[in-house]
Amino acid sequence: MYQYLSGILTVIAINITAVCGLTILTGFTGMFSLGHAGFMSLGAYASVIAIKYWGFSFIPAMLFGGIVAAFFGLLVGYPTMKGRMRGDTFAIAMLGFSETVRLALSNIYPYINGALGISGIPKYSEAWLVLLIAAVCVYLTFRYTKSKHGRIALSIRDEETAAELIGVNVTREKVKNFMISGFFCGMAGCMYACYYTFITPNTFSATTSNNILAAVVFGGMGSVSGPTIAAIFLAMLPEVLRVVQKWRLVLYGALMILVMLFKPEGLMGGRELFSGWKMRAKKREAGK
Amino acid sequence: MTVFIQQVITGLSIGSIYALLAVGYALIFSIYNFSNFAFGVIMMVGTFGAVYAINLAGAPLPIAIIVGMIVAAGISLLVELSTYRPMRRKNSPRLYLMIAGIGVNMFVENLAIQTIGSSVKPFPSNWGRIILNIGNISIAYADILSGGLSVVMLVCLWLFIYKTKIGLGIRASAYDVNTTGLMGVNVDMVSLAVFAISGLAAGLAGVFYGMKYTVYPSMGAVSNKAFVASVIGGLGSLPGAVIGGLVLGLLETMVSAYVSSKLRDMIAYLVMILILVFMPNGLLGKSVKDKL
Repeated sequence: MYQYLSGILTVIAINITAVCGLTILTGFTGMFSLGHAGFMSLGAYASVIAIKYWGFSFIPAMLFGGIVAAFFGLLVGYPTMKGRMRGDTFAIAMLGFSETVRLALSNIYPYINGALGISGIPKYSEAWLVLLIAAVCVYLTFRYTKSKHGRIALSIRDEETAAELIGVNVTREKVKNFMISGFFCGMAGCMYACYYTFITPNTFSATTSNNILAAVVFGGMGSVSGPTIAAIFLAMLPEVLRVVQKWRLVLYGALMILVMLFKPEGLMGGRELFSGWKMRAKKREAGK
Repeated sequence: MTVFIQQVITGLSIGSIYALLAVGYALIFSIYNFSNFAFGVIMMVGTFGAVYAINLAGAPLPIAIIVGMIVAAGISLLVELSTYRPMRRKNSPRLYLMIAGIGVNMFVENLAIQTIGSSVKPFPSNWGRIILNIGNISIAYADILSGGLSVVMLVCLWLFIYKTKIGLGIRASAYDVNTTGLMGVNVDMVSLAVFAISGLAAGLAGVFYGMKYTVYPSMGAVSNKAFVASVIGGLGSLPGAVIGGLVLGLLETMVSAYVSSKLRDMIAYLVMILILVFMPNGLLGKSVKDKL
């Protein structure tokens, strides 16, 4: 029972970390990606190599995985943002990116065994540890979105031309947010690898990308707590309802259409979980 | 030399499939300025319509092709009426339209996987396997058919858009939907026509793709490459989409023949990034800044 629970908690933590990354990109910068699984793959492979061949311990390896993913984010992000890719072209380019990562990893044999993948990864991902990491990630994402950088990202999301006119370096900001989102997804990939103890190039597929995207859309774009809650629910849903397991993606698809049709702002819609309380507290103080 | 000619023919036949799909993307983009991400499943459902017409009703191939096209057009209209139109009425941002399209894609594709299974089926027609030999060059009948019918379809489309009244409405809408509506054009009619045409093209392309390769629920993924083709030609430009499709088809075949077949699937995305960096409007696209 304990193992079962800790397993679910670990999956939740991994989901939250990845969702934090995508919410910065999609929820705040307004660019939506179909290929963040590629970053998870890169992060997982980089950290596993660091652990198995260079003797890194878990946290440094995880950070290394994140940095490698962010570096690839720079490599992919700079030309795509410089090329002024709009939403749709960017989404497809990211699909191509994750596909390219998958093909490349399947055909490299030294160190990573090609399509067979790597097994026998030490199981570092303890539930309490990854939950702690996820909590730190949520906190950092929250602070980031409330900072100057987050506001700039929001201005780009809402009116790119206007943002550029008031002096925002749109390309730089986009690439920056893209790298940060890659960093979080890379860390999530490392946590995943150290929980399941084996990875193959196909571990992180389009389904993974869709899962993360679904959490961000359901949770609400422009909010951090919304997607976090959605990530928790989406990770628990298949456990609670076994029937749903098979039909999960059908359900996600249908929900995605319905959310976009009737409540495009999602669960939280640009608000945070505690912002209502804060507002009321402020009002009370103003009343005095 | 024969190898080269053989590759050109293969490239043109896959390119004509890309071109049909890319035209569907371009048509919708030119008017509504968003990309229909549900296009892959529209094509997939159309193909399955054709397969079932042959398997269950024993229809001959020409009838099956027509059934496939009509089914695809029907699904396309259904998506437009149930999802895109209500969202456009609410002035949803493009991002939301695309996410809804992804939702449709996920929903239909996984529904198909759960109900008819994800296994790969051959297209129930041996046209793809009958080979015509001219000297040392061999051409599958399906390639000739797909090339020929694609041209017919594109010519019909051209005639429809440039010679009919609804076509005039479509062209006017491509400049500005709202003004066109004010001028008394039935904009709802135009949107139905556009989605039906793109569905017909998708159905036709799907049947040929199924004949050339196989039929399976996630075959819609090929429409992503068609999207790349329409980007190469310039988003929203119909002649550009045709040229982009043929260029991409040729390029892919040449790369897999002379460089490495593993690179085949990557080349499309690489080309897209290069095109967007150096020619942001594609080969024939209208200026991106026009539609601010």
